[in-house]
Amino acid sequence: MRSLRRRFEVGCRVVAFALIGWLIGTSIFPAPRRVVERASSSDVLARLPSWTRTPSSAALHATLDAAPSPLGVAWLAALRHAGHVVTWNGAPPASIAVAEPVIAPSGGVRVNVAAPANSRLILADVAGTIDSTRVTRDGLGAGFTVPLSLDSLSLHVDRQPLTVARPNDVAPRAVLVVGDAGWEAKFVAGALEERGWKVVTRFAVAPGVDVRATEQPRIDTASLAAIIAIDSSVGTLGAAVQRFVEQGGGLVLAGSSAGARSVSALAPGSVGPRIRRNVAATDTIGLGTTGYFPVAAVREDAIALERRGSGVTVAARRVGTGRVLQVGYDDSWRWRMAGASGSEAAHREWWSRVVSSVAYAPATLEGEPKIFDAPVVALFGRLGPPRPAPVTSRGGVDSRLLLAIILALLLVEWTSRRLRGLR
Amino acid sequence: MTTEFVFATAQYDSGDWDSAPLVPANIIDTIARYTEINVAPTGVIAPLSDPRMLRYPFLYLTGHLPVRFSDAERRNVRQFVDRGGLLFIDDHNHDIDGVFHKTATEEIARTVAPLAELPNDHPLYSSFFKFDGPPTTSHELNGWGDNLVHKHLLAVQRRGRIAVLFSSKDYSSEWNYHPDSKRFLSVDNTRFAVNLVVYALTA
Repeated sequence: MRSLRRRFEVGCRVVAFALIGWLIGTSIFPAPRRVVERASSSDVLARLPSWTRTPSSAALHATLDAAPSPLGVAWLAALRHAGHVVTWNGAPPASIAVAEPVIAPSGGVRVNVAAPANSRLILADVAGTIDSTRVTRDGLGAGFTVPLSLDSLSLHVDRQPLTVARPNDVAPRAVLVVGDAGWEAKFVAGALEERGWKVVTRFAVAPGVDVRATEQPRIDTASLAAIIAIDSSVGTLGAAVQRFVEQGGGLVLAGSSAGARSVSALAPGSVGPRIRRNVAATDTIGLGTTGYFPVAAVREDAIALERRGSGVTVAARRVGTGRVLQVGYDDSWRWRMAGASGSEAAHREWWSRVVSSVAYAPATLEGEPKIFDAPVVALFGRLGPPRPAPVTSRGGVDSRLLLAIILALLLVEWTSRRLRGLR
Repeated sequence: MTTEFVFATAQYDSGDWDSAPLVPANIIDTIARYTEINVAPTGVIAPLSDPRMLRYPFLYLTGHLPVRFSDAERRNVRQFVDRGGLLFIDDHNHDIDGVFHKTATEEIARTVAPLAELPNDHPLYSSFFKFDGPPTTSHELNGWGDNLVHKHLLAVQRRGRIAVLFSSKDYSSEWNYHPDSKRFLSVDNTRFAVNLVVYALTA
């Protein structure tokens, strides 16, 4: 019993002296003290100047529900290079926005946005909000077409801001309309001309007789933005069409023209038997009301863009660097002539969009404005993946607490010895 | 195959719209004879008062008697022209002082726009066969009607295209015969009709 008590007293003394020694040691060689500075999406930019002035031993951590601006991300990356431990976590919406010029005489900008399902998108420029939409539950994003924009365009995906510059305007080249003389060819060419496209026509009238513009352009992307084939007479252009598309030119295969031997290999699908519809005398004529050639056997590398009942009416495919659109309608002129009020304008707009979707655009040149933004990608690239905040380090246990423990140990040891009758 | 060209004769409430009943068949025969245009074997009659007239972008209108469009006819003709149709009017009287000429030109001025002389180097005259201007007709040369050889056709143009073409040449008499009778002609006098149709389909 006595031995046990003595050991306790010795133990208290040893621990007390050990702590005294540790205190002396840490006073000579102090442990690094780590402070973790924290910020959220809303105040991270405001905190950056003060973070810049903190010692590099301070860890910096941001909890983000939206990626900071490019300036903020670059600033954080600079702090990391300066020796700070910079970390972030949170779940900013993965989003990317790309702006591209609309290849049409009217110009404009198309902004395509990839964003999480159900997120809300708001598009604005310096003059104010332009448009907004919500990504559908199973959607991948959305697109906006802006006829006119002032300077750059800003976009919000929920709270995530994105900014894309207004791309340089591209003056579209001419469009060649090739077909037999008929209403469809005439009204397609007319609709495009009325929308401001420069249209060159080549209409077959009789064997060896074409009605054509006096100056026929070369079939290349220096002269043409797109070729519209109204029917199988596109075959007279031969292999030039394939070369043109592979160079980046656009090709619209309307009606049954995709069946022409020289272009069938380019088509998104084959030409199905024409679907004919009975049109009553009182029916309003719309696009496809009187029937169409369905796109049959859509190729694996093609995509169906429009369906009518069980049939595909519009399908698209990339060939080389060009685009090919197969449009099953062969008498859209009926929609223009005999459609409801406004059908003439709708016919013009529809055909202009069809051509615009495939028209050749020159490759982006150096010095082009920044037409895409992917803030979360930039965040990952500059700061790495999300990580939890570093643990705060205060440089050891509070010395006042240690002093109190030492005094308590010595007091217990002294009391124990006195109770045993020792000094 | 493109949708076929249908030769449509305009029917209007006033006057004798069917005064040249053999013209459609004769023109259809001519189109088929000289071109590869996919032409319907028979023509149709398109009442101007019925919006279904808009299904035929080329309309042939003729007669001897006064032309007065009803409100519905006027509305449809205006829409027809606005949407890109071509209305070919031929004076079956061949008489610029006649009632058809006076009333039809007034009606077109009221409904669409005043008619103006069409230059003789207009693409219409070279769209298929080459002409120096509107071909003359035997009725002009025989002194019928106003005893004049009309050097020009009249037209209303929209966006650089002929929307209404008015003829005082009396092609309705010139072309109003059975197609088989063409074999008796040294030169087919319906060739200008090919230019009309080709122009309508390509301009």
